Amino acid sequence: MDYKAVIIGGSAGSFQVVTRILNSLPKSFPMPVLLCLHRLKHVRSGFVEALSLKSNIPVDEPYDKEQLKPSRAYLAPANYHMYLELANRIALSTEDAVNHSRPSIDLAFITAANAYRQKLIGIILSGANKDGAFGLKKVRDNGGVTIVQDPNECEVRTMTQSTLQLTPVDHVLTTDQIIKFLNKL
Amino acid sequence: MTVTDQDFQLFIYALKNSSKYDFSQYSEKSLKRRLAKVLADNRLNLTSLINRMKNDTNFVEKIVKEITVNTTELFRDPQVWQAIRYAILPKLKNNSVINIWHAGCSTGQEVYSMLILLNELDLLDRTKVYATDLNSDVLENARQGLYKYRFNIGYLDNFDKVIKENPYNFEEYNDVPYEKYFSIDKSNDLIKMSNSLKEKPIFKKHDLVTEDNTLYVKFDIILCRNVIIYFNYELQNRVFDLFHKNLYDNGCLILGLHETILGTYSVKFQKKGHAYYKN
Ligand SMILES: C[S@@+](CC[C@H](N)C(=O)[O-])C[C@H]1O[C@@H](n2cnc3c(N)ncnc32)[C@H](O)[C@@H]1O
Repeated sequence: MDYKAVIIGGSAGSFQVVTRILNSLPKSFPMPVLLCLHRLKHVRSGFVEALSLKSNIPVDEPYDKEQLKPSRAYLAPANYHMYLELANRIALSTEDAVNHSRPSIDLAFITAANAYRQKLIGIILSGANKDGAFGLKKVRDNGGVTIVQDPNECEVRTMTQSTLQLTPVDHVLTTDQIIKFLNKL
Repeated sequence: MTVTDQDFQLFIYALKNSSKYDFSQYSEKSLKRRLAKVLADNRLNLTSLINRMKNDTNFVEKIVKEITVNTTELFRDPQVWQAIRYAILPKLKNNSVINIWHAGCSTGQEVYSMLILLNELDLLDRTKVYATDLNSDVLENARQGLYKYRFNIGYLDNFDKVIKENPYNFEEYNDVPYEKYFSIDKSNDLIKMSNSLKEKPIFKKHDLVTEDNTLYVKFDIILCRNVIIYFNYELQNRVFDLFHKNLYDNGCLILGLHETILGTYSVKFQKKGHAYYKN
């Protein structure tokens, strides 16, 4: 099976995990990595730089309608929703927050699930609300691979636990196992 | 409520038939979601929505307003306004006339931001400011220059960053009072733009998708921020063409923070900081 994209959602407690995942991916990672992370309102800048520090693949906040490329990571910009359009293009939007969140993890996951169907890998990490749960369910409904970080390992469990309550998933994994999984792709 | 692809196409088609609006090249994902929300908020199903649109133009206007995104701020993205202040406007200081077009101005905060900045730089008298939007309701709001106060306290922080502080010189501080440009009426929860600012711009209804330049002048600066993110890639190119044709030779286009020119038109503009200069 060749996959077309990985999408990762998280909020409180996910920053370290995402950093570790990015640092472990090879330069030639064969698909784009989409990151939809909630951040504190005042932490608008410096986030990309922090994630890029040791990452082997470039990390950027995408422009609207930018075309996704493999071996790159795209971080949803603060205060924008990030959608996936067909034809591999990102679409940004400043419409209202969903469940008090912008970017909304659900929206990013739902549209990615729509665009990539069974060729998508969705991962939900540590987080303090239930945004993302419905999105990961949609990834599963569309035949994609679903992974949730092991709640026992999460700094904040709300996001992973509400996801597991809403939908069965393919794997519940620790950060190390997630890294292993991705490196086999 | 989710909207199927077929429902969505039906809606776009019905809208096109019952009005002059053409949303067929808008970015689909966001528009679909808006449509679902409009149906839920109005407690309508698609068929009844379409039927009402056929013979009620006011209703069409209301629906168009609801499916478009109108969020805006005074001095939205202060770093962009700092660039306008220190890099873009100074290039025009020897012009005898300056023409500026705010395309997709929504409720006008962007226009008032520009007017304030122009006044601070002593350029207001020789500048003509045109502001257009698809939607006549937001234009009416823009003309009135009345905004909620408590909900928008962030406007004051943005004002401070752009007008009072100088990012290139932390020791400089211009203590420009807010009252110079707007009054704050806390008891009625309102920010009111001053009359002298409100008189200045020419507000006009204009559709970027279907119309040519109906302002009949060329421009030194066109601001079109957070509008084309709702358009698909092809439609974005149509709009870039329109802007390119209607900029003066050394004129520039200013887009939203995460908008950019991709594809054919990228070679016809040159990016300098936050502005795209016509090549
Ligand atoms: C999010 S607001 C942007 C306001 C402001 N420029 C800013 O950046 O804060 C987008 C505006 O674009 C307008 N718009 C959408 N489609 C349009 C079209 N085809 N022609 C003109 N304006 C349009 C909407 O009515 C809305 O007021």
